[in-house]
Formats: sequence, C-alpha cells, structure tokens
Amino acid sequence: MPIILENVSFSYSKKTPLETSALRNINLRIEKGEFVGILGEKGAGKSTLLKLFNGLLNPETGTVRVDGLNTSSREAKRRIGMVFQQAADQLFCRTVYDEIAFGPLNFGYSRKEAEERVLEALEAVYLDQTMLHRNPFSLSGGEMQRVALASALALRPDYLVLDEPITGLDPVGKKEILETLKKVKDEGTAVIAVTHNLKGFFPLLEKIVLIREGKIAFQGTKEDYLKTGCVPLPPITSLMRELKERGLPVNPAVFTVEDALQEILRVRSVIEKESTSNTGK
Amino acid sequence: MIRLEKVSYSYPDGTPALENINLAIKKGEFIAIIGKNGSGKSTLALHLNGLLKPQKGKVIIRGMDTRDISKLPGIRKLVGIVFQNPETQFVGRTVEEDLAFGPENLCLPPVEIRKCVDMALAETGFEKYRYRSPKTLSGGQGQFVALAGILAMRPECLVFDEVTSMLDPDSGTDVLERIRKLQRKGKTVVYITHNLEELHAADRIIVMDKGRIVLEGDPESVFADPSLQSLGLTLPSLIELAARLKTCGVAIPWEKTSSPHSFAEEICQLFLKT
Repeated sequence: MPIILENVSFSYSKKTPLETSALRNINLRIEKGEFVGILGEKGAGKSTLLKLFNGLLNPETGTVRVDGLNTSSREAKRRIGMVFQQAADQLFCRTVYDEIAFGPLNFGYSRKEAEERVLEALEAVYLDQTMLHRNPFSLSGGEMQRVALASALALRPDYLVLDEPITGLDPVGKKEILETLKKVKDEGTAVIAVTHNLKGFFPLLEKIVLIREGKIAFQGTKEDYLKTGCVPLPPITSLMRELKERGLPVNPAVFTVEDALQEILRVRSVIEKESTSNTGK
Repeated sequence: MIRLEKVSYSYPDGTPALENINLAIKKGEFIAIIGKNGSGKSTLALHLNGLLKPQKGKVIIRGMDTRDISKLPGIRKLVGIVFQNPETQFVGRTVEEDLAFGPENLCLPPVEIRKCVDMALAETGFEKYRYRSPKTLSGGQGQFVALAGILAMRPECLVFDEVTSMLDPDSGTDVLERIRKLQRKGKTVVYITHNLEELHAADRIIVMDKGRIVLEGDPESVFADPSLQSLGLTLPSLIELAARLKTCGVAIPWEKTSSPHSFAEEICQLFLKT
C-alpha cells in the first residue's frame, strides 16, 4: 500500500491578509521501498508537502492517505518517520537515550524492546554508545542530525521522510548517512527526501518529484527525468548532458565521477578508432 | 584588515576548539575556510567580530583588539556574520523590521535606515516579502533574509558560515554570485563551507583540522594536495574528474573545471579537433 495524495492544496494563514498558497492540486503516489527525491527551489513548497504526509498539516482540499489510513490516525503516524531540516527543532529529551527511546515507548513498546531499538538505531547512524548519556543539545550539528534520524528509525517506519538530511554534515558524515539510507531502503522502507545535495543523492534516487511554485512540475523515474531536460542536475550529469548536446556519443545517465571517467575514455577510444580508420582509407 | 595572532580557544567543557591560529586576511580578499565537522571553523568565525574572545593570543580588526569592549561597536560595524541557521538570528516581526534592526543598532538616522533596508531588499530581490514574518519563510528564503540583514548593515567584511546549506543549487549559485559581486566592489569575504564545489573562485583556501590550520593556498594547489582526502574532505566532482582524466592523458586546464559548460567545451575541443 502506498502514500496517495489526491488533488491536495494547501495555503498558510488562510483567510488573513497574509494568506499564501503553498501547494496547488498535488497528485502523488509513493510506493513502499522507493527512494524518492523531492527537488525544487526555495519556497517551492517542498517542506509543506512533507508535513502533509504525517498529518502535521492537513490539506485544505483533497486527501492524503497512508496505506489507506487517514494521516491523523495513530497508526499512520507510526508508519511515517520524520526528520526535519533543523534537527534541534525535534529534540526535547535530556539524554540521547531518552530521545531515541521516546518514539517506541510512546507507541507502547516494552522497555526492553525500546532498548533494543535504541541500540539498533544508534548503530545505523554511526554513533557509539558513549553518546547515549549525553544531552542532545550539547552535541554538534552533525551529531544532532544523526540522533534525529536515529529517533525516526527507532520506530522502524514504513516511510522515512527527510527534509535535507545531510546538510551540515562533512563529506564523511554525508557518506555514512547516505549508506544508512540506502540500507534502510533495501530493507523495504520508502525513503522520501527533500534535498539540494544532488551530488550525494542522485546515484541513489529512483524516483524524482520536482516542485515549482506549489505545483508538481515533474514526477517519474530518474531516467525519464534525465530525458526531459529538466534541471537541476548534479554537476557530473550536467557535464555529460552538455557533451551529448555538443555531439559526443556519450550516455548522459551518469552520476558518479568513476562512471563519467569510464564513459569519457570509452568515447575517446571510439573517436580515435574512427579517425584512424578514416585516414586508413 | 583582520589579523589573528596565536589565537587559542577552548569551550567551557574543556574541548579545545582553536589552537595557535595565525591568520592575516587582506582587504578585498575572498578567503574560504573548510574542514570537517568540529574542526573549529565556526569558532574561528565567531572570533572575527568579537562574539568570542581569544583565551590566548589576540584578534585585531583594523587596529582594534576584540578584547577591548569599547571597540566592539566599531568592530561589529566593520565585520558582519551570517550564520548557518537563519532562525537563530531573526529578531523582527516582519522582514522589513528584521532588516532595520542592524542599521538601527548602529545608530543611523531613520532616513539612512530606510535606505539601507530598501537597498538590502532590492539586492536580494525580496521586496515582495517585506511585510511577511521571517518565521513564515521557507528555510532557503530565511537564509536569503539573513543575508539581506547583514547587507543592510553595509559591513566592509562579511563572514558567511555555511549560508548555502539549505538553498537549492540555483539559489546557491545566485548567493555566490552576489557575494562575488560584493567582493569585486572591495568587500572582504570570509566564506565557510562544506561544499567544496563553491570554492573555485576563492583567492585562498584555509583547511582546518582539530582546531589548527593544516593547509593553506590557492584553490588549484589546495585541491591538488593529496592530504585533503585524509582530512575527510572530498573534491568537487568536476575537479576530481579532471584529476583522474589527467592520469589517463586528458589534460583539462584548471580554469575550465569551474563549470560543466566550460569543462564540456574543453573536452569537445580535445576530442573533436581532428
């Protein structure tokens, strides 16, 4: 069963002079086990969309269903793990342990079960157990982000919803968190991420939703996204697209430096072969 | 313009954040500071306008010592900092009010304040948000307003601490363009980032690790330094690709690695010349 949004619209400060329309007429379907990237410019409505998934905001028109459930139901909330843009906004306990255990305890799991989940989640975000007794607010930004992710993972959600999960992390931290997300996805959880970090995320994404001024400008597979000529693209993919447009026979669906290198070298040898055979004639 | 002499700083819990930092920042320079989480970048930034004071050594801003409280207003007028999380620096109920706070604090006459605010709104293209509450803006828009807030104070030196982290690539490029424009007008820019893709145009890059400066130089030489990987930093993808192509006999000149466009141009010239 998927998350389904039908004809969803949302405005902030409804019926006041400050009314602003954030989303208009959104139709979207996210299946379990998908890795979805939500892209778009600042103020496009990306974060608003995420808040509709777990009932933090209710649509003005249209419906949002999680596995057929209303988003305000407790069960729907358990199925969706949410990590916000500012990790500090969602931390409130006195120790990292309490923070991560809060979700499982809140949903009625036993202390023992909660502890198991805390340790499992902590390991998944590459933090060691000495962290458990620290105050989450004494942690660095990157560590806070990991704790926030761990507390979402401790619920073993079916859908993991993330708003810019790797900003503020250094390259090693980014890589670790991306690996965790990939693992979570491989275990069958849908990962839905708002991100501007195309370099890191693009190799992992399967589906892309591009939002422009509150409307869906594109939704579909990554491969189709590349064919449409949409932007943004990671720098490497932009380069390959440019090469193709300039007449080099490269495959533009390349997302890593390694693949780009192989593709450029392959094209070089093709061109060299052609030119030697031409001079041979 | 800014000089750090043997600066050391530890946080109250004893964590050393800066150790024996010596650094001179020239007027009009675009200097970038990189390093992994916890390397001391932000602590260094907070020293540049006296928000933190060195426990050892000194920080001199155009002849003024940051430890001298009477000099702080003068220092804050010269050096403005934009932080990573815009929400931590909003004070006004509307964007306009928020932007007016800085100039008002500098005791400018009302007419001047008005001018500063209008200019900052115009420079960021945010006139339409003038009467919005900064709290209702999205993360990226918030970063823009925080930036405008500093511009309104017209400082001579701007310090940016990961200001593009929440921006989409286009807005990020846009912010960088604006920053470069400011620098061309003679402003000094200190730019802290994790995103090495942004640093092609910097005059100088400082790499920090464990509170020390471990590497320093122009982007070309810093990016070519083999120790960068071991410091937990990854190269911009185009520069990494250029380095690997070079070992395979395809040499892309440094200045062509700044954008996919110029990179593609160069490859086509090399491959299609016959």
